[in-house]
Amino acid sequence: MEGLFFNVNGGFVEGIVRGYRNSLLTGQNYSNLTQCETIDDVKLQLGPAYGDFLASLPPNPPTSALAGKMTDKLVSEFRYLVAQSVGSTAKFLEYLTYGYMIDNIALLITGTLHERDTRELLERCHPLGWFETLPVLCVATNIEELYNSVLIETPLAPYFKGSLSHQDLDELNIEIVRNTLYKNYLEDFHNFVQTHPDFSGPTQEIMSEILQFEADRRAINITLNSFGTELSKQERRKLYPEFGNLYPEGSLMLSRAEDVEGVALAVSAVSDYKSFFDAVGLSQGGGGLGGMGGGPADGKSLEDLFYQKEMEMSKFVFTRQFTPAVVYAWMKLKEQEIRNVTWISECIAQNQKERIGNFISVF
Amino acid sequence: MYPRYLYGVLTTAFVVVGLYMLFQGEGEAFNVGRFLEEVSPYAWANIGIGLCIGCSTIGAAWGIFLTGSSIVGGGVRAPRIRTKNLISIIFCEVVAIYGVIISIIFSSKLVPVPESQVYTQNNYYTGYALFWGGITVGFCNLICGISVGINGSGAALADAADPSLFVRILVIEIFSSVLGLFGLIVGLLVGGKALDMGAA
Amino acid sequence: MSGAVGREPVFPTRQSLGLMKSKLKGAETGHSLLKRKSEALTKRFREITRRIDEAKRKMGRVMQIAAFSLAEVSYAVGGDIGYQVQESAKQARFRVRAKQENVSGVFLPQFESYTQDGVNDFALTGLGKGGQQIQRCRETYARAVETLVELASLQTAFLILDEVIKVVNRRVLTKSSEHVIIPRTENTIKYINSELDELDREEFYRLKKVSGKKQRDNAAADAEILAARKKAEAEEAAGGVVAAEPETADILGEQEDNDVIF
Repeated sequence: MEGLFFNVNGGFVEGIVRGYRNSLLTGQNYSNLTQCETIDDVKLQLGPAYGDFLASLPPNPPTSALAGKMTDKLVSEFRYLVAQSVGSTAKFLEYLTYGYMIDNIALLITGTLHERDTRELLERCHPLGWFETLPVLCVATNIEELYNSVLIETPLAPYFKGSLSHQDLDELNIEIVRNTLYKNYLEDFHNFVQTHPDFSGPTQEIMSEILQFEADRRAINITLNSFGTELSKQERRKLYPEFGNLYPEGSLMLSRAEDVEGVALAVSAVSDYKSFFDAVGLSQGGGGLGGMGGGPADGKSLEDLFYQKEMEMSKFVFTRQFTPAVVYAWMKLKEQEIRNVTWISECIAQNQKERIGNFISVF
Repeated sequence: MYPRYLYGVLTTAFVVVGLYMLFQGEGEAFNVGRFLEEVSPYAWANIGIGLCIGCSTIGAAWGIFLTGSSIVGGGVRAPRIRTKNLISIIFCEVVAIYGVIISIIFSSKLVPVPESQVYTQNNYYTGYALFWGGITVGFCNLICGISVGINGSGAALADAADPSLFVRILVIEIFSSVLGLFGLIVGLLVGGKALDMGAA
Repeated sequence: MSGAVGREPVFPTRQSLGLMKSKLKGAETGHSLLKRKSEALTKRFREITRRIDEAKRKMGRVMQIAAFSLAEVSYAVGGDIGYQVQESAKQARFRVRAKQENVSGVFLPQFESYTQDGVNDFALTGLGKGGQQIQRCRETYARAVETLVELASLQTAFLILDEVIKVVNRRVLTKSSEHVIIPRTENTIKYINSELDELDREEFYRLKKVSGKKQRDNAAADAEILAARKKAEAEEAAGGVVAAEPETADILGEQEDNDVIF
């Protein structure tokens, strides 16, 4: 049925996003990029895809400036989509920005906690997570004021309410705050695509798959990264999103995991994750090496494998039509592309060509 | 939410009214046969024609917006698709033309006749034929239009992604466009046997 | 050569000769001491230079790896974590201790790095994603900073030593050097010696002269006495005639001069 009605509101946006997707860099582009000798060459190679955005860069720009300009392009394209979308698609796009908003608000909370001038922080905020009332938050001078303004002014209020109080902001590590928010966000997003009548059909299927993966990934990452820190198991458990392929048994096992082996055991129910762990060799002992990720043994870390999987899922989203999920997929692909280009140009700038191929290209 | 609630209200209303009439001894008012007989063949014919052109147009319009929005969107980054994909729009438009043709043919069978000659065997046949013929064509075209529209939308996006796909998808699109033609043929056959109104 | 150096303005006396001699000895001892110090310092300096070279190369490698691991982090996290790390770091985990080392009287500061265990301020950064890379990156950078500290310690020593060696060498070369003070003192000693010799010779000659004159006088006196004796004998013999001596005019006497009138 989605074919009958989706295009009324979303056809144009979808068409544009597919156009954007076609301008993503392909394997051919990447292999050209890896042949570059200088950043200027990279810039030249990116010319067709990024055009005007890179024009203002000075010769041999730093990689961060390059990445910044690429992000600018992503942002401007996304803003165009938002401007063109209506109805549930618009709401969907709004949900996409919440993740960045969480980062921005975490930034502001950090700034306020350390009594910095938060106005300066506005420039550091991710432009995708920008919302009109963001500058209002800078007025707050202490954490309680900030908390209240967040509740009143931001779309994130539901994520704060009920799980975080203003004392929490003060006492908890900002990373815990951020991850709590992110967990609430993921759950809300999942709920949104599951229940919204406009999204029955492909959107629901795709998005719940992707979001479940995202939830699992976060749970696994949080568990792996919390080894050796002061994060208790109880607190850790609170950060796991309450859905996903691992939920509930896997999450429970994750929350009890003591080391990498425990994590591997917890995720063994899901064959994908099991194969990841097998691939990076985490399941065979070396529990103390948790902090080392996969190690550079085969050049792929767990993180890389997750990204790879995410990219493949995003790629397959484009085989479905009449769904705003393509926007989500496109954004993920684009972000990966920016990361890839940054990686390649870092490798070139630092003359470390041997690992230049360590990026993820799906097209 | 609210349509379900509406169904409930409607059903209850029907049941209440029906039971009331039944218990008041007026149950015979529901006489389908008499209703069919009493309705003028002109009414049948005109409703048929109206549905024919109406549904066809809706189908065409639906198809066009489905395809059109995708072409416009896809055309932003791949302007080359705009001319080629006009063919999808034309396919949709053809559906409306089928409806127009049938409507014109059908409406030519409508001739004013004196009141005494309205309820004749022939006129009944013509009225029903036009009615069902119109509905056949109309719904065929409606579905065909939607089908072509969805296909066209896919074709436009596929073309934008990979120009070599266009022709292959166009083949499929032609198949869906043929559906309307089936309706047209059946409509012509059904309507062809009907004589003009009032013809002896 | 010694002509250009000149000599010190001293009176050529035995005392000043002694002074000069001790001065020369002092200058020579000082010079050789300084020379030895300078050599020791230079040796140390060379060693430090070599180690700086090594450390710099090592730093180049380590910094490259570190910068690369930062690139890895930015790849994994996909954003800028700089601010967050900056703000969440409260206590220094990596610390530096300074101590001093004595190299031939020169105090060289030495920095020693150590890690304060238990301080782990941003362990949770990147909890959601990229945490492992961040921790790895931190370790790489800790190693890089270690190298930096080592290099800083060497560089400081290098600068200080450089300065000291310059001063010492300047002293070796100019102030006390064999080119000025010692030649000068030597000159002075030579001068004094020559003056003293001269004086000696003069004295000897004078004494010789004096003794010669005395002999002559004695001889004359003896001859006179002999002559007088002979005359007396003769007078005695001639009748005791006393020959009056012709009276010489007394110029400064009481008689007035005749006025000279022109």
